[in-house]
Amino acid sequence: MEFKEVVGRRRSIRFFEPDRPVEREKIQKMLEAARLQSCAVNAQWARAVVSFRDDLKPDQLKRLLTPVAALNVEMAPVHIHWFNDLSIVNKIQGSRLRELVDVGALAPTHGWSHKFVDEFVYPQILKPMTEGPAYPVYSTFDVGMAVANALLAGVDEGLAVCMVTLNGEVLKEVFKTPAEWIPMPTILVGYPAENWDGGGQRPRPPFEELYFEGEYGKPFPRDPKVVEQLKAAKMIQEPARPHSPERIAEIKRLADKYGLPM
Amino acid sequence: MVNEEESEAPVELRPMLDYRAVQTWLEGLKSHWGGDPATDDPERLPILEAFCRLMNRDPDQVIKETTMIKNGEKRIRVKGRERYANAINAWQETIQGSRIRQAKWGNTVRSFLIHNGVLLQSGVHQG
Repeated sequence: MEFKEVVGRRRSIRFFEPDRPVEREKIQKMLEAARLQSCAVNAQWARAVVSFRDDLKPDQLKRLLTPVAALNVEMAPVHIHWFNDLSIVNKIQGSRLRELVDVGALAPTHGWSHKFVDEFVYPQILKPMTEGPAYPVYSTFDVGMAVANALLAGVDEGLAVCMVTLNGEVLKEVFKTPAEWIPMPTILVGYPAENWDGGGQRPRPPFEELYFEGEYGKPFPRDPKVVEQLKAAKMIQEPARPHSPERIAEIKRLADKYGLPM
Repeated sequence: MVNEEESEAPVELRPMLDYRAVQTWLEGLKSHWGGDPATDDPERLPILEAFCRLMNRDPDQVIKETTMIKNGEKRIRVKGRERYANAINAWQETIQGSRIRQAKWGNTVRSFLIHNGVLLQSGVHQG
């Protein structure tokens, strides 16, 4: 699938085919995509524990269920639980920046050298950063980017994906993760029981409310010609409509099929 | 099983449609799914009434025990919600008939709570 169409087709799917397994190689492809995402100082904070639902003991699965996400978690055959490994910067101490210098990604043309990394970047910037209150926020941004890549790779593989937030303390206990890993959202993975379209592209705030040019308050102009190009490329798709009879009929069908409340 | 206070007198229920919470439920159903929820499923109100008798509470009391007003905002009572969620799950298992029928009874009561703003989810129930 073309990249723009992958972006356009992604939906948070909440009806999975509960008994249709997901191929392991597709999960691996999602993880591979996450690993290749851009990451500040090449630290790689993102960690994941893949959990095949049917491999969980009943009490483990029950502990994962939260009021909002219980049904999704039960329906999805695979759960990828993401974590932020806060310990990594002080473990690697700039070594991955030195790797970037070695491969020419960071070059003297831009002021980079091993000596700069060893004497300045790690001890004077990165190490103090790990001791500051904003460190989990900075690093979580990078985890989010990795997770976004995994989501899109899943869509490209024809899978249904949905991000949910589960109870972090439960995740740490059930999956026995190190103390310094902060729980992040979980990607639920499966095959969609609903149409992949999910009733249409979900509502978003107007473009002009979100993006600015030059300074806050001056919207970045949205060129209608570009919008048309993106429609042709299937990145911008038919929007979901309120109270769509087709969508209501689909949800009724799914509620009947899976015995869900209406 | 559910009625913890055995000394309580049995609740005296008025017709279900008299209760504000039932009206809210039906309005929610109509607004979301269309149709006429008061008549399109003749079992709907009797199922809720059966559950209310089991819990010895009228429909408005059920909502009152699962929600509260705090600082002027409606909130869900965590323990109340959990108590009712467990009660519905347990009650559903006692219903005679297929799993689909059991699910229908449980889901009817869940729907009543959901349309009154109390989030509940059931598991998957396939025939």
